[in-house]
Amino acid sequence: MALPKRIIKETERLVADPAPGITAAPHDDNLRYFDVTIQGPDGSPFQQGIFKLELFLPEEYPMAPPKVRFLTKIYHPNIDKLGRICLDILKDKWSPALQIRTVLLSIQALLSAPNPDDPLAPDVAKHYKENEKDAQRVSPRVDAAVRVRMRPSGADDRSEFSLHLFIETRHLVC
Amino acid sequence: MVFAHAWSNVSGKGYIKAGDEVKIMREPQESKNSGGSKAETKKKIGDGKKQMSLKAMLKQPLKTSSKKKTDNIVRLYNARGFEFGRLPQDVSSWMAKLIDLGIVEFRGKMMECPEKLSTGATLIVTADVYMLPTAFKPSNFETDQKPTVMFSEGAETLDEQMLRERKASILKLFDALNLRPQAGANFSGRKTDEEIHEEAMKKIAQRKSKKVTEIVGDGEEIEVDDGEELSENDLDAIYKKAQKSDRTMAEMEPPSTFTFTLRGYQKQALLWMHSIELGKMDAREAASMHPLWCQYAFPLPRDGDGVIDLTADEKPFYFNPYSGELSLDFPKAERKGRGGILADEMGMGKTIELAALIHTNCAPDTEQQPAEESATGPKQRQLKLSNAFKKASRRKKQPPVAVNPGRSRLPLWHGQNRLDLEDVLEDDEDRDSVIKVVLTSYGVLASEHAKSGKSSSKSPVFEIEWLRVVLDEAHSCKSRSSKTAKAVYALNARRRWAVTGTPIVNKLEDLYSLLKFLDFQPWSDFSFFRSFITLPFLARDPKAIEIVQVILESILLRREKTMLDTNGKRIVELPQKEVTVEYLEFSSVERKIYNSLFNSAKRDFQQLDAKGLIGKNYTHILAMLMRLRRAVLHPNLVLSSDDERTLPEDAEGTVDVNDLIKRFANDDEEEGSVNVFAQNALNDLDIDEEDAECPICMDIMQSPMIIPQCMHRCCKECMLTCCATAEERGEELHCPTCSRGPLNEADLIEVFRPPRSSQDPEPHVILRKNNFHSSTKLDALVQNLRKLREQDPCFRAVVFSQFTSFLDLIQAVLKREHFEQYRFDGSMDVKKRGKALEEFKAPTRKPKVLVVSLKAGGVGLNLTTANHVFMVNGLLVERRDREPRQVFLIPCVEIGAIDRVHRIGQEKTVYVKHFIVSNTIEGRILRIQKRKTAIVKEAFRSGGSGGSTDPESIENLKIMFEEDSDDA
Repeated sequence: MALPKRIIKETERLVADPAPGITAAPHDDNLRYFDVTIQGPDGSPFQQGIFKLELFLPEEYPMAPPKVRFLTKIYHPNIDKLGRICLDILKDKWSPALQIRTVLLSIQALLSAPNPDDPLAPDVAKHYKENEKDAQRVSPRVDAAVRVRMRPSGADDRSEFSLHLFIETRHLVC
Repeated sequence: MVFAHAWSNVSGKGYIKAGDEVKIMREPQESKNSGGSKAETKKKIGDGKKQMSLKAMLKQPLKTSSKKKTDNIVRLYNARGFEFGRLPQDVSSWMAKLIDLGIVEFRGKMMECPEKLSTGATLIVTADVYMLPTAFKPSNFETDQKPTVMFSEGAETLDEQMLRERKASILKLFDALNLRPQAGANFSGRKTDEEIHEEAMKKIAQRKSKKVTEIVGDGEEIEVDDGEELSENDLDAIYKKAQKSDRTMAEMEPPSTFTFTLRGYQKQALLWMHSIELGKMDAREAASMHPLWCQYAFPLPRDGDGVIDLTADEKPFYFNPYSGELSLDFPKAERKGRGGILADEMGMGKTIELAALIHTNCAPDTEQQPAEESATGPKQRQLKLSNAFKKASRRKKQPPVAVNPGRSRLPLWHGQNRLDLEDVLEDDEDRDSVIKVVLTSYGVLASEHAKSGKSSSKSPVFEIEWLRVVLDEAHSCKSRSSKTAKAVYALNARRRWAVTGTPIVNKLEDLYSLLKFLDFQPWSDFSFFRSFITLPFLARDPKAIEIVQVILESILLRREKTMLDTNGKRIVELPQKEVTVEYLEFSSVERKIYNSLFNSAKRDFQQLDAKGLIGKNYTHILAMLMRLRRAVLHPNLVLSSDDERTLPEDAEGTVDVNDLIKRFANDDEEEGSVNVFAQNALNDLDIDEEDAECPICMDIMQSPMIIPQCMHRCCKECMLTCCATAEERGEELHCPTCSRGPLNEADLIEVFRPPRSSQDPEPHVILRKNNFHSSTKLDALVQNLRKLREQDPCFRAVVFSQFTSFLDLIQAVLKREHFEQYRFDGSMDVKKRGKALEEFKAPTRKPKVLVVSLKAGGVGLNLTTANHVFMVNGLLVERRDREPRQVFLIPCVEIGAIDRVHRIGQEKTVYVKHFIVSNTIEGRILRIQKRKTAIVKEAFRSGGSGGSTDPESIENLKIMFEEDSDDA
């Protein structure tokens, strides 16, 4: 299946004119699969952190949203332990006029503005609600710890990714 | 002189001795009754009496070997009248016939015999053969037996059998006498294959008797002969002879009154027709002897002394080996009828040739003025018959163009309120110089004929003695028993022309009707035609073709487009024709609709198949196939359409920009700024949209669409995909850019930019509602046309489709695209059709599209102004497994349609495009080797009539459904 013109264009633009604090690069062997990094936004508890994500454009894209997941562990009420993200535009509010860039910018924004009222990780959300300061203090540490732990095993663990993707999909359906 | 190894059937002395005269006779008349009914029957035929009842004739097989034996005994009598022996079987079989027919007398002489005869003893007898004068009497088959022919179909066997037997017997006689023809073109080799011929005859006889019995069993008369279809080779062979010398034929210039320039071959045709009409010898070949006859010399009588009478003139006589006729007179190749068959290939300008002839030979016959011609009766009357009104109006148009004004009058005689024909003609009797041509249609003629059959008063059309009757598209009266054909035969004309591209459509008998119309004796007698042409052909006797060749040589002119003229150039140079096939993919919605239809059809079919009811539900299956074909064209053609979007009243769906702004303003009254935004957004449209990028495909918007609620835009295709996706997921439709919604698909507004024309450089924009549902086929067509418009801003294209409902959709979409378009189909009356064509052909600087229904426009039209053809029907693709490349066999209706454009007068390359949707019934590759796959063809034609179902067609149907299951 040939790559739609739109994906090619988006990729070109992501590379030529990256959004601040965001990188996204497609894999050579699968141009629908992107390695993404997002810098923790300034003024947020994730400031200084660099978060690894993976992004996959399904066959129906842009009629269907891309599938995005955090690979770096993050302490955030809307992101669960498996890295799945609770964001409306990745689900029912997806519009084909949205792009990879806009999606990643939205995720970056989500880091600045967690929404514990619509949690994906209930314990984190609870923590946030009960003691937001404390929760924010914990966040970078978890992040750092995970980063250390994950490095040796390598970031390119595809089989794991696809497994999670599967789980995520099921989750969405439910 | 015959040496017969006869045998005796008596024993005893004194019956006969060598040198005695022997009477060679048939069984005496009075004893014939003892032979029983069988012999009686036979005898009577021999005697030429035909009073016996048909039933008696039909009850028994006509020609069985056993009967033949009992029947054909030729007895030997001595001078005293005692029967003493018989002639052997092989001789007596034909001798008996000749004696019975009374055309030959044998006088025998005993050469050698045993003194005492015993039963079975061998006798050697010589016989002198005397041809009786009766033999040379002109054969009276036609005159005598015509009533019998009329009588019934079965009666023909009588005549036929007699003719056949007479012919065969005479041939045997000549063989035995070692007579060879002295002259006569086509007789060589005849004797050698005499046996084959006999066999063929026997075969016919068997076949015939079978058929006849069938008829009796049914208790009704059916047209027996469904014949055997002619193969291409046969047809080629038939025409070959008629074409032999055409190339070198002289040309003739048309008179000055004729304003068209003729091509070389058309001038040849003019000369040919001209000389036939003037009764000159055939322009091609002046054969002095009738082509079917052969000349024989009487062998010199060898009298008893062995002295040869040298003074006796060797007198020739003539024999027609095809009919068995004998004659002492020299048979001239005579042309009784003035006229012939003009059978040039389709699109070679036969009509023009005829028009030229009308101009050349408008004077009445000067020589051979028949006595019955009334003094006042002007012969300037001509009748041209056309096969339909559309044809008629076409004819009407062409000749006047060709004629100087004032020289011709063309009353068109048709329709309900046709005038009294006499009045029309009498009108300007005084103007002698005027050529009068009456145009009418076959339908009118047939109904007039039916009328005059009922009432005593004849319609004037059958009473006037026309100078010339021309049957255009003469194959429309190919069936001799049809009303049309009968009406045509009833016309009284001096010169008769049949004009058709296909004088033989698929049977040799097609030709008969034309010969009958031309009154080409003796072939215009059906029994004659049948005996010497149809039946031998059925028996695979090559002579049948031979005869047809001979007939056609003298009355038929046929040239083909590929023939070369004397300079080695093609007589007709046509520009190239490029045929392409574009394969399309269904959209997912269309695919769903199609598949569900297909699966239910398949289920139906399998159920019927399981019950073995396919034959009975043939029509139903055909209907299903038709439905599937429609589904391929456009889903709306099969969905019970209460969807108003299919054909909105205002097909253009144009929206005014200002209206839109107002509406927008009303929607958001409180927000003035948004109003300004909307205005800007809409004004932007006017300026330049070429760089605008669609937010969905991120490509330049080819045909942008506006969401009226928020004025956001994206390209039409993307928006439609969005709509489809939303529908599929059961979600509401929102604006992709701002998520405003829910939206109604039909409210979306399409921005359409007509191409910039030179007169109006200002780009302008038309907004229209998205209230039209397109389909894969339509989109493909529109895209092609758009592309065409870019390349050639004043192109002419013709779109053919089989379904008029689809024509409606095509028109709607063309209207939306602002193409100038015209329609031509069977439901329109003559005037409307003419107008549509005229407007389509009128030269303007705009692109024009003509939408034609395949059935109405597949024949007769001249659309050479166009050079792009789009066939939206899809086509049957047949692949021959043996051939490495795919070979497309396009059904001939489509070819005929394409030939409307690709014909004489076309100067540009013709581009033909077929649209096929992949993985549907359309693109089905049929591995059906045989061409006569009637059922499939029928399904792809009109599909109405349920013909016969042979196992093969059912097999084909199965292929149709099974193969689809793989890719469905």
